[in-house]
Formats: sequence, structure tokens, C-alpha cells
Amino acid sequence: MDLTYLFHPEPAHPLFFFLHQIICGAVAAMGFGVLFNISFRSLPWCALTGGLALAVRSYCLSYLGWNLEGSSFAAALIVSSAVVVLRTHVKVSQNALDVVGCIPMVPGKFAAQAILGMFALTSTDPDHATETLTVAVQYTLRVMFTIGAIGTGLAIPALMRRVRVSR
Amino acid sequence: MPPRFFLASPWVRAASPWVYFTRPFQNWIETDGFAGNIRLDGNSPPTYLFMDMIDSLSPDDSGSAPALEPMAMVALDAGRMLMEAGANANSIDEIVTKVARGLGADRVDLRIGYASLAITIGIGANGITRMREVGHLGVNQRLDQELWHLAARVSRGELNVDQTRAELTRLAAKTPRHSAWVMAVAVGLACAAFGRLLKVDWAGTGPVFLAAGIGQFARRELLGRHTNVFVCAAFVAFLSSLLGGLGAHLLHSETVTVAMIASILLLVPGIPCVNAQSDILDGHPTLGSARAVTVAVLLIFVAAGLWLAQVVVERTVGI
Repeated sequence: MDLTYLFHPEPAHPLFFFLHQIICGAVAAMGFGVLFNISFRSLPWCALTGGLALAVRSYCLSYLGWNLEGSSFAAALIVSSAVVVLRTHVKVSQNALDVVGCIPMVPGKFAAQAILGMFALTSTDPDHATETLTVAVQYTLRVMFTIGAIGTGLAIPALMRRVRVSR
Repeated sequence: MPPRFFLASPWVRAASPWVYFTRPFQNWIETDGFAGNIRLDGNSPPTYLFMDMIDSLSPDDSGSAPALEPMAMVALDAGRMLMEAGANANSIDEIVTKVARGLGADRVDLRIGYASLAITIGIGANGITRMREVGHLGVNQRLDQELWHLAARVSRGELNVDQTRAELTRLAAKTPRHSAWVMAVAVGLACAAFGRLLKVDWAGTGPVFLAAGIGQFARRELLGRHTNVFVCAAFVAFLSSLLGGLGAHLLHSETVTVAMIASILLLVPGIPCVNAQSDILDGHPTLGSARAVTVAVLLIFVAAGLWLAQVVVERTVGI
């Protein structure tokens, strides 16, 4: 049985790709859970939120053909709603569980490339200055919109649940 | 003549017509001077006890009100610890209010700044305002949970001021943290998985794991020595991306640049970023914007470290 296709950067089979994204999301969420000092007993919940986030995002990106911002928004909204539903069972603050689930969706690559593009522009004699600028601004905007989408998606269920009590 | 403690008891005072006669005037007497001075005895001519002396008051001395000072400081301490554990403004407000009310305050007003908390608490006509500095804002979920439990106990009236203070001290010292090794391995795994999501090939994933783990060790060590957070972030970004990039190159990865980026994702300030947004949405725009600016500056330092590592990698192995 030839297993080399499993180790290809872009897994060939769509289902495998889907599983791969979910597992990676779950592992990343658990790692960040440890970093946030979440106890071992609650780590499976972190894995669940991370896996759920990546499942929704991958589904929206590949099957529904949405863009990254819309998919991230949908994923954050669903993760946050799930956490609101689960909040009585999990011994972790809602805020942290949301964030841990959504961290694997942070567009780190775009962010780094945007800032590095800006750095490249400031060199004394930049090559292809216009293209570099366009790409850097594009990346910056995508990062801002994606992070904004994740933040908004996370905030909506919590804000809807909360009743502000005046004192 | 009945004994003095009998005359001073609240029932006797409430039953005495003199109290009802003087009550309309008490308001201006007690808020005369600056708010926070406590009048010693309701029946004698006004004697003020100034703020510095409040510590020595026993609750009986201040008439009906228990000492406000320790109450305010304990509530502020709970808020400070929660903020340093990575909570958003709404949670801090809720916890501080719960603790202060549980300890007997009638009114609680809290101002949450990025580096300080200020509280005004009052019982009856007495009130004081106190301020407390807040240290480095980290993330510690177990401490967060413990503080919520503690606040619930205080609000049920199970603990008094001294017990709450002792409990806070215990929590600050005893809340367990994961060991350095566990954290390094977990962060390494997280960054490797993150790298896979960013389409790093398998040859680059191992170096990302190692580089991120080493970076986490370095970060813990530096923060333990009270290095500036931004400098620490720049250094860790440089170290991790250099190791990740060189390792990926040595293993003939085709995605060296992305591997370098994946190695520094342990520095993504996720909680501050989300807290910034939720604080603005909850009506704390000053705290939210302070958090957002801090996140932006942190990202610039991280990018500077990454850029330096890229220059080094380009010069040494020529990618």
C-alpha cells in the first residue's frame, strides 16, 4: 500500500484533507490550552473547540467556496455558540475556551508576510515597489478583516446572552 | 445607666427618636471634608478620623459600618489577580462587585485601566476610593477558575475579609502551573500543527516543533528574569524562526519561509487580541484600545525578530 500521498503537503483525498485539518486544529488548540494553564482534564474540550473551528472553516472554504474572512466568521460564531451551550459542563472560562478554539484560525502567515512586505518597502532601493506595496496592503487588509471576523463571531453569542445589570 | 455597649447597639440606636431627628443632617456631616473620612461617633460632635489611620480601626469604632479599607483592598486584589490571569473587563467588574458586596459593601464602582484598578465602595453614608496597580497581564486559566470559585463563596457570605485575603494569598502562591517541559512540548506540537495548517511540508514540521519548544523555554526563562515583554518577544521570534528556518533547510524542506513563520506562532497574543475587542464591545474603549495598541507593538517586535532571522538565514544558506 502506497502511503506517500499521506505525506504530501496537499493531501489528495478531500476527506483526508478534512480530517487532517481537524486534527491539526485540535492539536494546536490543546497546545495553546497548556500555554494558558488549562488543566489536563479540560484539554479535551480545547481540542473539541479547535477541531470544530477548523472543520467549519474547511467546510466553508472548500465545499461552499466562501472566502477566508467569511469562513473564519462562521467558524468563530459556531465555536462561540457551542461554548455558550457547553459552559455549564466545562471548568474553563468561556472566554479562554473560545480563544483557544479560534487561535488555529489566526492568519499568521498573512500577518508575517504583510509586515515583512512593509519592511521590504522601506529598503533604500526596493525592487518592484508597487507590487510589493499592493501585496503588503492586501495581506494587511486580509489579516485585519479575518481577525475582525473572528473577534466579532466570538463576541456575538456572549453579548446576546449577557444582560447588563445596572447597579 | 445601661452599659455603653447596650447604648451603642444598632437596635437601641434605631429605636431612639434622636437618630431620626439628626438623620437629615448626617448626610452633610459625614460627607463634609473629603469623602472617605469616617466619623468616630454619631452622637458626639464630629470627630474625623483621617485615611491613614483607618487601618487601626476595629469595626466597632466606626459606628455601624465595618472597616471599608480592608474590604476595598481585598476586592481590588481579587480584581488585580483576575486581570493578571487574562480576564476581560466584564469578568473583572463582575468578580470585584461580587467580592465587595459579599464582604458587606452597599455600593461598588470600579474603574478598570490597563495598568491600574480604582474602586469606590460605600456602606450607608460612608465611602472610600482606593487604587491598585496591576502587573504584567499574562494568561492563567486555573487561577481564573479558582478566583471565580472564591468570589462565589464570598458572595454567599462564607468568608470574611481576613479569610478572603488569606485565600487570595494562598491562590497566588499555590495555583499549579504546567511544568516547563510540558509547556515546551505542547507549544512545539501546537506550532507544528499550526505549520501543517499553513501548508508546511512534513520535512519542515519537525524543525518547527523543536524550534517552537526551544523558543517557549527561552521565553519562560526570560520572563522569569523580568525581561521586558517586547524585547523578550523579539528575541524569541528571532531564535525560533532562525532555528526553524535552518532546520527546515537542512532537512531539504521546500517551505522554509513558512516554517520560519510557523515557529513563532507561539507568540500570537490571542487572549489580549480577543479581550481588546470584547472590552470595546462591552463599553470599555480605553482599556480595549490600550490592549489593541499593546498587541500591535508586540507584533512589530515579533516581526522585527523574524525579519532579522530571515536576513541571517538568507546570508548563511542563501534561500
